[in-house]
Amino acid sequence: MSAEQMLLSAAGIGKAFGRRPVLEDASLGVRAGEAVALVGENGAGKTTLLRICAGLLSVDAGEVRVAGRVGYCPQEPGVFELLTAVEHLVLFGRAMGLRRQEALAHGRAILESFGFPSDERLPARDLSGGRKQKLNLTLALLGDPKVLLLDEPYQGFDRGTYVNFWDHVDRWREEGKAVVIVTHMLAELDRVDRVVELAVHPSRRRGEHSRGRW
Amino acid sequence: MTVDTLSRVVIVAEMQGRDLGRRRLALILLVALPLAFYGALAGHSSDAIIPGGVAMAFSMAGAAIFAVLSSRAVDQRLTLAGFRAGEILAGRLLFLEVLSLPLVAGSSVLMALVSHPPRPWTMGLAVEMVAVVAIPFGLAVGALLPRELEATLVLIGVVGIQLSLDVSQGLSKVLPFYGPMRLLDGSLGGDYPIGAAFLMSVAYAAALLGASSYLMARRIRIRHHASPREAT
Repeated sequence: MSAEQMLLSAAGIGKAFGRRPVLEDASLGVRAGEAVALVGENGAGKTTLLRICAGLLSVDAGEVRVAGRVGYCPQEPGVFELLTAVEHLVLFGRAMGLRRQEALAHGRAILESFGFPSDERLPARDLSGGRKQKLNLTLALLGDPKVLLLDEPYQGFDRGTYVNFWDHVDRWREEGKAVVIVTHMLAELDRVDRVVELAVHPSRRRGEHSRGRW
Repeated sequence: MTVDTLSRVVIVAEMQGRDLGRRRLALILLVALPLAFYGALAGHSSDAIIPGGVAMAFSMAGAAIFAVLSSRAVDQRLTLAGFRAGEILAGRLLFLEVLSLPLVAGSSVLMALVSHPPRPWTMGLAVEMVAVVAIPFGLAVGALLPRELEATLVLIGVVGIQLSLDVSQGLSKVLPFYGPMRLLDGSLGGDYPIGAAFLMSVAYAAALLGASSYLMARRIRIRHHASPREAT
């Protein structure tokens, strides 16, 4: 695979929820081996753009193109509250066509790389916020996706794991993955190749100002 | 259905079972609810098996609603990971049907021993049909309504109205549990054709399953993107 190969391209993306516009003519392109930070104010549409790229939301305008499998890590852990980490690995692994043992071997290796003990038997509900987020991230990485879409994936991580997370980003780049990270951690922007900033839609910004005058 | 698809359906059913199996209080309530309805009326009415049987709908539809809503945050992610919406629905259906078997059997035996209906096998069939209709009903309500409160109120409303109406009343005929109620009535000696009531139940269950399948597929669908053009 060429290091220059475009794995994700989103061009002219427009999206509104009802009469509330969120994105207008937004664009994002990520090549193999590239890590891009997606930044912007609250309400700028970062999560919406990521969900559109993952295929979870439709667009009103524009086009998304993706090469290969997508691993998506939502901001809020999308997990079953009463299933254990191992059970999640088996379930998600099966979705990807992995056999039980394959899913467990691959998933446990990822969990352990984040410092999550592989013998943990608590259901997700009883895990700490950081461990639940590690499980969330592991499910996105299971099956070795080419494109990683990570929505503030380090929430709840302790300092050691947080630092370690950016080492993982470096490794994913070396493996030729295209990585998009929604982040508010502006101090870490030197760890990515490019920063894409989304602005709050102008119509909503005008609305904020007019409300402010009242 | 291929072996691979079957194994994917079974794994969804297994995980759904593990999830519900850890909610012990919910399981106890699932068993207790229809028995409580029946027990409250058994000493006062010879027709107690009708509300007792239909109350099974609260348990099974409630379990189905819960299965859908507790998975709401995960379903689309599972689809993105590779499951088809039909596989998730089939797994959920499989688990709930298996769960209903001991509930139906236990309730039927108890009601047969206490109330001595003239046609106990018809009563057993009727209670099974309540579960067969209630599960897709709960799946459809859960797929249509995004929150527990609204879904529970619809469940209470529909089953409550069905229970409060006489089986011969017009409105009763368009509600989901009319067929099973006719079967329950038949087990007490009613003359409505059992075959027709059975087919009506199966048709209603199939229609509800179709509706829940459509709603779920819409809710968790993934937009598959084309590959990027090169030389950009």
